[in-house]
Amino acid sequence: MELQKVITPSPRSDLIVEGIQMISGLLLVLFLWVHMLFIASVWLGATSFNALANFMSRYGLVWITVAFLVVVIGSHVGAVVRRIPKQFREQRIVWRHAKLIRHMDTWSWIFQSITGAALLALAIIHVVVVTYGGISAKISSTRVFNHFLIFYIVLLLLAEYHASVGLYRIFVKWGWVSQHRLHRVLGVITVLTVGIGAVSLYVLYTLGAHFA
Amino acid sequence: MNDYDLFVTDVLIIGAGLAGERAAIEAASQGLNVTILSLVPPRRSHSAAAQGGMQAALGNAAMGQGDSPDVHFADTVKGSDWGCDQEVARMFVDMAPVAVREAAFWGVPWTRVTMDKRIYDGQEIHEDPKKVGLITARNFGGTAKWRTCYTADGTGHALLYTTDSMVLKLGVTVHDRVEALSLIHDGDRCYGAVARCLRTGNLRAYSARTTVIATGGYGRLYGVSTNAVINEGTGMAIALETGKVPLGNMEAVQFHPTGLVPSGILITEGARGDGGYLLDKNGYRFMPDYEPKKKELASRDVVSRRMIQHMRAGYGVDSPYGPHLWLDIRHLGAKHIETNLREITSICRKFNGIDPVHELIPVRPTQHYSMGGVRVNKHGYVYGMKNLFALGEAACWDLHGFNRLGGNSLAETIVSGKIIGEKIAEFTKDALLDVRSSLIDQHVHDQAERIEKLRAKKSGTADVFRLRHEMEEILREHVFVFRTEAALAEAVEQLHALHVRAGDLRLRGSGLGADPELSAALRLPGMVKLAYCIAKGALARTESRGSHFREDYPKRDDENWLKRTLAYWSYEKNEPVLDYEPVVITELPPGDRGYGEATSGPVQKK
Amino acid sequence: MASRELTFRILRYNPETPDVKPHLQDFHLNEEPGMTLFIVLNRLREEQDPSLRFDFVCRASICGSCGMLINGKPNLACKTLTKALPDVTTLMPLPVFKLLGDLSVDTGVWFRDVSLRTESWVHTDEVFDPDAAEEKMDNELAKEIYEAERCIECGCCIGGCATANIKPSFIGAAGINRVARFMMDPRDKRTEQEYFEVVASEDGVFGCVGLMACDDNCPVGVPLRSQLAYVRRKMAVAGWHMGRGR
Ligand SMILES: Cc1cc2nc3c(=O)[nH]c(=O)nc-3n(C[C@H](O)[C@H](O)[C@H](O)COP(=O)(O)OP(=O)(O)OC[C@H]3O[C@@H](n4cnc5c(N)ncnc54)[C@H](O)[C@@H]3O)c2cc1C
Ligand code: HEM
Ligand code: HEM
Ligand code: SF4
Ligand code: F3S
Ligand code: FES
Repeated sequence: MELQKVITPSPRSDLIVEGIQMISGLLLVLFLWVHMLFIASVWLGATSFNALANFMSRYGLVWITVAFLVVVIGSHVGAVVRRIPKQFREQRIVWRHAKLIRHMDTWSWIFQSITGAALLALAIIHVVVVTYGGISAKISSTRVFNHFLIFYIVLLLLAEYHASVGLYRIFVKWGWVSQHRLHRVLGVITVLTVGIGAVSLYVLYTLGAHFA
Repeated sequence: MNDYDLFVTDVLIIGAGLAGERAAIEAASQGLNVTILSLVPPRRSHSAAAQGGMQAALGNAAMGQGDSPDVHFADTVKGSDWGCDQEVARMFVDMAPVAVREAAFWGVPWTRVTMDKRIYDGQEIHEDPKKVGLITARNFGGTAKWRTCYTADGTGHALLYTTDSMVLKLGVTVHDRVEALSLIHDGDRCYGAVARCLRTGNLRAYSARTTVIATGGYGRLYGVSTNAVINEGTGMAIALETGKVPLGNMEAVQFHPTGLVPSGILITEGARGDGGYLLDKNGYRFMPDYEPKKKELASRDVVSRRMIQHMRAGYGVDSPYGPHLWLDIRHLGAKHIETNLREITSICRKFNGIDPVHELIPVRPTQHYSMGGVRVNKHGYVYGMKNLFALGEAACWDLHGFNRLGGNSLAETIVSGKIIGEKIAEFTKDALLDVRSSLIDQHVHDQAERIEKLRAKKSGTADVFRLRHEMEEILREHVFVFRTEAALAEAVEQLHALHVRAGDLRLRGSGLGADPELSAALRLPGMVKLAYCIAKGALARTESRGSHFREDYPKRDDENWLKRTLAYWSYEKNEPVLDYEPVVITELPPGDRGYGEATSGPVQKK
Repeated sequence: MASRELTFRILRYNPETPDVKPHLQDFHLNEEPGMTLFIVLNRLREEQDPSLRFDFVCRASICGSCGMLINGKPNLACKTLTKALPDVTTLMPLPVFKLLGDLSVDTGVWFRDVSLRTESWVHTDEVFDPDAAEEKMDNELAKEIYEAERCIECGCCIGGCATANIKPSFIGAAGINRVARFMMDPRDKRTEQEYFEVVASEDGVFGCVGLMACDDNCPVGVPLRSQLAYVRRKMAVAGWHMGRGR
C-alpha cells in the first residue's frame, strides 16, 4: 500500500461519502415533496395557506428548515462535487463521449450535474427571498405574479428533473427494482409532482392577479 | 546487430492457449522463470472458443455410470482408428479425471448433477441422488458412456479463464501481441526464439533453457474453418523450418460435421449430443440409415463422410454457397435450447438471422482440428531437436491418431499440460543456458533481412492475399473429406509451385511498423509448407484411416500402414520428405471400430 | 435487386506516421447477403488498403477481440451484420484503451492490469488432493458463477462508460463483475474485509455513478446492473460490519 493510504487509515471513506450523497439526496427529495404539498395548501384558499405559514413561523419552523437545508444541501454538494468533471479536459471528454455513444443515461447524468449546479444557486436565492421577504398568501402570490413566475417554473422543472434522475440513479445503483419498472414509476411521480407544483403556481398567480 | 531487445528466461512457452498456460503453471510452481508469448491476449486464444466440453471418466452422471479410464481408453483408440500411441492414451485417460477435478479446485464452474427431470431419446433419465452436486457429463460422439464434462456452453472459456487466473496468480510473465518468427537453434539444440512485436513491429530475441511450442492448430490453411483467424499453424511451421524437426501425421485433418453455412462457425457437437438430428432436403433423418447404432453420434470422420455421401447422392439442400444439410434441434424445446445451447442459439440469430427454436440450421462438414503437428515423444520432447518441447493441438503427442474424439482435445491440453509441464520443469532444472550471442544475432539478422527485403519491394511479384486464397482453395478442392490419387497429385504439384512463388512476395503497402500486410507476408511461406506436408502425406498414404479417407483405397490397411507419417522439410530438395515410424500398440490390437464401414458411394436406403 | 453501396467512415491513426493526424477516411463497398463487419474489414484490407489495422480472433463473438464504436455504440464488429447498418457507418476504436493503430486497441493489457489489481483468482489455503472426489456444488450456484464468468473482456462496457473515460484508475463494470464472480464462489476464501479493500473504493464499485452504458452495451448480456448492485450491497454491509467491529 502507498504511504498516503497507510497514514490516512480510513478504508471506508469512499463508502461513507457515497452514503452521505445518497441520504442527503433522499432527504432533499423528501423535503421537496413535503414542500410541494405544503404549497399545495393554497388550492384550498388563502386562509389555509396562511394558517400553515403562520404555524411555521410561530414555532420557528422556517428557521429550523433553513438550518436543515444548509446542512443537507451542504453535505449533498460536498459529497457530489467529487463526481462533477472539474477540469476543462474532463468536461470535453464527457461531452464528446455522450455525443459519440448517444446513450440516454449518460446524457441524463450530464444534465443532472448541470441542474444540480443551477439548483444550488436558485435554491439559495429562493430561500433568502422567502425567509426575508416573508410568507403569506398575499406576499407569496404577489411575488409570483410580479417577477418570480418564470423563476419558479424553472426551479420547479430543474428540481423535479434532478430529483427524479437522482432517485433513478439510486435505485439502479443499488439494484432494488428492475430498470423498466423504475422508468415507469418515476415517470408517473415526476409528472405528478410537476403537475401539483404547476397547479400551485397557477393558483398563486391568479391569486396574485386578484390582489393586484 | 544490436537493434533488438533480448529477453532471457528459463522456460519460453510459445502460445498462451490452454496447453501453453497449463504447462506454464507446472513449470512456474516449481520455481522456474517462465515467459509466455502469444499473438493475442491469452484469454483470446482459440481455446476459449471450445464450447462442448472435455472428456474425463468421472462416471457421475446416470448415463455415465460404469465408466472408467479403461472404457475411455478403448473409445479413444477406436476413435483414432488405431492410429494413436496407446502408451500416451493410457497416461491420458488415467490423468483426465484428476485434471478435471483440479480445474474445479481452481475455480471452473463445471455443470453439476441435478435431480431435474430430463428426457433423452424418449427415455427419462434418473440421476443418482447421492451424486447430486458432483460434476456431470453430456453425451459426445464416439463414446460408449456420457463422459464429456462441461460448463453450460462455455467450457473452453471457463477453463481458459481459470487457467489464466492461475498464471496471473503465479506471476508468470506474459508477452501478448508477440509473434515467434523462428527458433534459435544450431541444428542440434534450440536456444529460444526470434519474435516480432505486433504492436510496434520491432524484432526481439528470447533466449531460454527450454523452449516449448504450444501454438495450437492450423485450421486457417483451409480458409473456411471452425478455427479462429489466428490459427495459422505458424508454430508448427517454425519447427518444420529448422529442417530437423518432423511433423507427425499431417494428413490427419478433422472435419467437423456441423460448420455453419457459410461462415464456418462451429455448431457444437453438444447440439447432437443433446439429441439434435441431421436432416436432408426432404426433411428426412438420414443418419440412422447409414449408422443404425450411433446415428448422428458416430465419430466425426464418419458423420462428415456420411453427410458428404448423402449430399453427393443428391439429397443436399441447394444454396448460393453450395449444397448443405440441416441440423434440427427444435424438438429439444425452447427451455433447453435457451439455456444449455444458448451459444448456438445466439450464433444462429446473430450470424444467420435464424431462430433454432423454430427453424433449421444450415450445416456442412468444415475443417476443424489438426491431429497432426510437431512430433514429440510421450514426454513431450520434440524429435530431432534438443531443449525443445511441444504440446496441445500444435503437437503430435499422438493421442488422437487419425481421428480425435470430441472433448478429447480440451482434455489433452490440460492433461498434457500437467504431464509434459512436469517433464519440462524437470528437464529445465538440469539444462544450461549456454548460448552464443553470435547465434542469436544471426537468427535475428535473418528475420530482419526478410523484413527488409519485403519492405524494399525490390523483387517479387506475388500478392500476399491472393496467394493465400489460392492455397486455401487447393486444400479445400483436393485435400478434403474424400481424397483420391489424382486430386492429391494435383494438389502437390500446385502447392509446390505456390511454395516457390511464396518466396517471392511483393507488398502493396509500406510494410512499416506493425503493418498487417507484412505480418501476413511473413507467415505465408511457412503456411504453404504446412499445406504441402498435408497434401504430400495424404498422397502417400494409400489406405483409409480415421479422417483420412481415400476413395481409391477405402479400407484400413494395418499390414502396410499401421505407422505414423513424419514429414521433414528438406532444403536440398526444396520440398517435404516423408519418413515413417511404427505406431505403439500396447493394449488394444487393431479391430473393428463398430461404426463407419468405409464406403463412399451412396447406400441404398432400406 | 442491386445491392447497396455501403460507406464506411473509419478512424485512421498510424503510430508510424505521427505527423499525420488521426482522421476519418471513407471506404466504399457493395453489400452482400449475410455480410458482417468481419467480412467488410477484411475485404477492405485485402482489396483496398493493406495497412488497415483491426483485431479479430474468433470471428464468432466468443473471444472479445473486436470491440469498437459502430456508429458510436460499443459493440463487437464480428457479429454486426451490415443489414442492420445504415448506408454510412462510422467505425471508431474503443476509447479508454491504448490505441495501437486504426481500430486496434490494447484491451489485453488493460484487463490484465485490472485482474492483477483485483487479484482475480481463487484464494485458498487448501491444497489440491488428486485422489479425492471433487467438492460438491449446487448446480444453481455453478450457473450463477458462470453467468458472471461469461464476460469476454471485450471492453465495450469500459469504452462506453463516461466514468472510465475520465478516470483511468476505475476498474469499470467488467472489473467489478469479475470480483462479483469470486465473491459468489465458495472456493474463494477471501473475507469481506479483503474484498472491501479490493473494490469498495472510488476506483471500484463506489466510483460507479450508475450510468448503465455498460449494461446497455454488453454484447454477451452479462447482467452487469445486478452484478454491480450485488457488489455494492455486499460492500455496504461489509463496511457496516467493519464500522461496528471497531
Ligand atoms: C470452434 C471450436 C470448438 C471446439 N470445441 C471443443 C470441445 O468442445 N471440446 C474439445 O475437447 N475440443 C474442442 N475444440 C478443440 C480445442 O479447442 C483446441 O484443440 C484446443 O483448445 C487447442 O488448445 P491449444 O492450447 O493447443 O491452442 P490454442 O488455444 O489455439 O492456443 C494457441 C496459442 O498460441 C499462440 N500462438 C500461435 N502462434 C504463435 C506464434 N507464432 N507466436 C506466438 N504465439 C503464437 C496463440 O496466440 C495462442 O495463444 C474446439 C475447437 C474449435 C475450433
Ligand atoms: C435541492 C435539491 C436537490 C435534490 C432533491 C437532490 C437530489 C439528488 C439525488 C437524489 C441524487 C442521487 C444521489 C445518488 O446517486 O446517490 C443526487 C445526485 C446528485 N446531485 Fe443532487 N440534489 C439536490 C441538489 C443538488 C445540488 C444543489 C447540486 C449541485 C451541486 C446537486 C448535484 C448532484 C449531482 C451532481 C448528483 C449526481 C451524483 C452521482 O451521480 O453520484 N444536487 N441529487
Ligand atoms: C426554508 C426553505 C423553504 C421555504 C420556507 C420555502 C417556501 C416556499 C414558498 C412560501 C413558496 C411559494 C412561493 C413564494 O412564496 O415565493 C415556495 C415555492 C417554491 N419553492 Fe420553496 N421554500 C423553501 C425551500 C425550497 C427549496 C430548497 C426548493 C428546491 C430546491 C424549493 C422549491 C420551490 C419551488 C419549485 C416553488 C414553486 C412553487 C411550486 O411549484 O410548488 N423551495 N417555496
Ligand atoms: S462485461 Fe460485457 S461489455 Fe464488459 S467486457 Fe465483459 S463482455 Fe464486454
Ligand atoms: S457505465 Fe459506468 S458508471 Fe457504472 S453503471 Fe456502468 S460502470
Ligand atoms: S472476433 Fe472474437 S468476438 Fe469478435
